[in-house]
Amino acid sequence: MTALAISNVLLWIAVLALLLVVLALVRQLGVLHERIAPAGALMLNRGLTVGERAPMIDVEDLEGRPLRLGAPREDGRSTLLVFVSPTCPVCKSLLPAIKSGRKDEKDWLDVVLASDGDLAEQRRFASEQGLDGVPYVVSTPLGLGYQVNRLPFAALVDAAGVLRARGLVNSREHLESLFEAQRLGVASLQEYFASRA
Amino acid sequence: MGLDPVFGALLAICFAVLFASAAVHKWRNLPSFEIAFSAYALLPQIPTLHLTWLVPLCETAVAVGLLARATRGVSAVAGALLLLGYAGAIALNLQRGRRDIACGCGGPDQRRPIAGWMAWRNLLLALLLGLAIFPWSGRALTWMDGATIAFGAAAAIVVYLCVDRLGEVSARARALQGSA
Repeated sequence: MTALAISNVLLWIAVLALLLVVLALVRQLGVLHERIAPAGALMLNRGLTVGERAPMIDVEDLEGRPLRLGAPREDGRSTLLVFVSPTCPVCKSLLPAIKSGRKDEKDWLDVVLASDGDLAEQRRFASEQGLDGVPYVVSTPLGLGYQVNRLPFAALVDAAGVLRARGLVNSREHLESLFEAQRLGVASLQEYFASRA
Repeated sequence: MGLDPVFGALLAICFAVLFASAAVHKWRNLPSFEIAFSAYALLPQIPTLHLTWLVPLCETAVAVGLLARATRGVSAVAGALLLLGYAGAIALNLQRGRRDIACGCGGPDQRRPIAGWMAWRNLLLALLLGLAIFPWSGRALTWMDGATIAFGAAAAIVVYLCVDRLGEVSARARALQGSA
């Protein structure tokens, strides 16, 4: 009986030790994924191709000012379209980054927020989040035109009306990667690595 | 014939730890859980009614209740129902095609999207917890049973952590390919 008990306890200790090793391995796997994960906005496999003309769409913002998105511009400024929604929690957490990005890049970039759905709800969202001054458009054709299927989604259109970068933006780093894409002239992190390989 | 006390105690302790840790995560950052909870879109949104704290309260009650003999059966039923509810909520939102909402599980800094395996995991957990409803047989426990319960609980918790992490890692791997 004593021998059995001792063997049993030893086995338990061995099982626990092995399990802890497995846990450590799995954690390492997670760390590894974090390291290799793209720090840039993830491009989805569907949607518009970067480097092509962006769809030209006429819209009005919440204050009724007409905007022609995707059209070539004479003032040489680029446009960042950020698709958000009042019902998307990540969008809310991204708004401060969008606002500060807009301030930092104001020399060359206009930021336009885009959404879809009930107008009254959008107005409430915009005023709640302190989005006064940022053009906010509500348009279904816009979302369809840019083939937005997940939020928050951003598309960078340059002065010539060409789509320069696009992708899912979940964080400040993702957003800034779009500005980097414009500066470096590469569409995505995938392309950047491919060009170096 | 009842449940062997070793199995019973193992189940009760493991699930008490599971519910307690889930509740602690939610108490620590109630506002972020509130956002996650409302994203599930299960109830009509009434902004003045903040009932989200009921979820961690139930979890705390189940965790404590599982440890006491008198309340064990009731707590096991309530816990299993909670788990089934979570599984149902996840499955419902997956069916609606809303794959990007946060699961609301894990720590406040983790933002994990819901996934099919979470619904199956919760279903399995609910079944296991359902076993705790049966009364225990009256076998006298020895010190060896104590060792089995202690080591067994520790092993079960580590296995759970491993599976949980693996699920997260595989979701991340899929997201990298842009097809998640």
